[in-house]
Amino acid sequence: MSDYVVKLDGVSKIYTLKQKDKSKKKTYFYALKDISFEVKKGDTVGILGTNGSGKSTLSLLLSGISEYDEGTMDIRGEQALISINTGLNMQLTGEENINVKGALLGLSKKKIQEIKDKVIDFAELGDFLYQPVKKYSSGMKSRLGFSISLALDPDIIIVDEALSVGDKGFAQKCLNHMAKVRDEQNKTIFFISHSLGQVRNFCTTGMWIEGGRLKEFGEINEVCDHYAEYVDGLNALDEKTKKAALDEKFKERILDKAPSRTFWDMLIR
Amino acid sequence: MKSVIYVIKENLSNIYRIFCIAKYELLADMRDSKFGLFWNFASPAIQVLTYWLVFGIGMQRRGYDGIPYLPWAIVGFAAWWYISPCITSGCSAIFSKQNVITKMKFPVSVLPATVCVKEFFNHLCMMAIAIVMLFLFGYFPNIYWLGLIYYAFCAFMFVEALALLTSVLTMMWRDVKKLVTSLMRMLLYLSPVLWPAAFSGYPFMTFIMKLNPVYYIVQGYRDSIFFNKTFLDHPAMTIYFWVVVVVLFFLGSSLMYHFKHKMVDML
Repeated sequence: MSDYVVKLDGVSKIYTLKQKDKSKKKTYFYALKDISFEVKKGDTVGILGTNGSGKSTLSLLLSGISEYDEGTMDIRGEQALISINTGLNMQLTGEENINVKGALLGLSKKKIQEIKDKVIDFAELGDFLYQPVKKYSSGMKSRLGFSISLALDPDIIIVDEALSVGDKGFAQKCLNHMAKVRDEQNKTIFFISHSLGQVRNFCTTGMWIEGGRLKEFGEINEVCDHYAEYVDGLNALDEKTKKAALDEKFKERILDKAPSRTFWDMLIR
Repeated sequence: MKSVIYVIKENLSNIYRIFCIAKYELLADMRDSKFGLFWNFASPAIQVLTYWLVFGIGMQRRGYDGIPYLPWAIVGFAAWWYISPCITSGCSAIFSKQNVITKMKFPVSVLPATVCVKEFFNHLCMMAIAIVMLFLFGYFPNIYWLGLIYYAFCAFMFVEALALLTSVLTMMWRDVKKLVTSLMRMLLYLSPVLWPAAFSGYPFMTFIMKLNPVYYIVQGYRDSIFFNKTFLDHPAMTIYFWVVVVVLFFLGSSLMYHFKHKMVDML
């Protein structure tokens, strides 16, 4: 099978942890361990998982911001992480921020002029567009930020809980827009959210990451059902067993020896 | 060598991005205050006045090389106030943009250039004040003033090369920024800004002072304005300066190249 856009093979990401007792010795921690999957063009992958299980780390790897430590990753196409508040300057007006964020995202001057009207239309901010962003409510900020990000034209869109701030109506509008783009231009979307309802409706493939490992990858409703069951099961446990289970999971991710590539290797390489 | 080409290419292909970021950061600074642009001129003017009161009037400096103290110092300060903020804010060029680099795919190596471009605008404001003052003291432009363009370019390349290096080092060890900030105070007195940085009777010490690349820039600004000299009058200094810049640029870009994907994990 060769029609994939994203292919991960045994990808791991290792973080360094400090010891509790401030000793010099460091421990290493698998943020992600041995992740392998393939995603076809036009798929929408919903990524599920409890807090700290590595969803955001995966989104950083997929968007090419951070580098993985082990394994191989093959991505065909331009990828972009949709971020809401980054690149917005509080002192400047909404309109100027379109220029700022556009430039940060690497758009040319002409391209920014082209998308400007679309962004203004989409954000529905009215006269607030000419107010400094510091006066915006958090929902308005995310509207502006999201609208600018959507105007980008990447092949692979990665959304990391970006829709959890705005109101339901706007979230639905964004989802509809993304679904339209996906169907018309055959884009691939990775969607990270804790809202199972949104994920069920929007995604075609589900991915469940637990404790840094890929637990399940398959049809969205199945994965969602299993995940919901797991969360309910976790909540039903009493405090002590829950804590023990979490500790156990944490221990599994600890790595005793240093990863093969150390600081000096990086310098010399 | 690959890394140098990589950094140059990335900077050139993102030139609009660099100017846009610098422009809107300046604009944001101005929006912060009511008078905005006025302060870009007023704050250097007040500083000049202070130093002139203390050193010019208070300590009765007669001036150097036949030039009265105030115009002599102003030209030095014009250069210094470009170099100094560039070096200090160049250190945190990447660190201060951490919310951007962790959230989008961003060519990290352009960040030092954005700082240098931003400060260059402030430098032009300062130069405007300096030139008005020079008119008042009866110095008028001649062909040698064009040397200022060359020396401004020198200053830009120097701070850009240094910022490339220190900004990555700051990402590895935050201490670098503190170290540089403290060293800046020392560098002010090791450069011929407030005094000629020459020890009469100790030629060796004077030679040591000339090893400071800032010496070349500050002295170059003065040469262009007062002494009708071009960079061709100091061939050895010119070669030395560019060797330093190239070495710094080489070190900075190789560090930048090796760590370009590691920045996010270093925060």
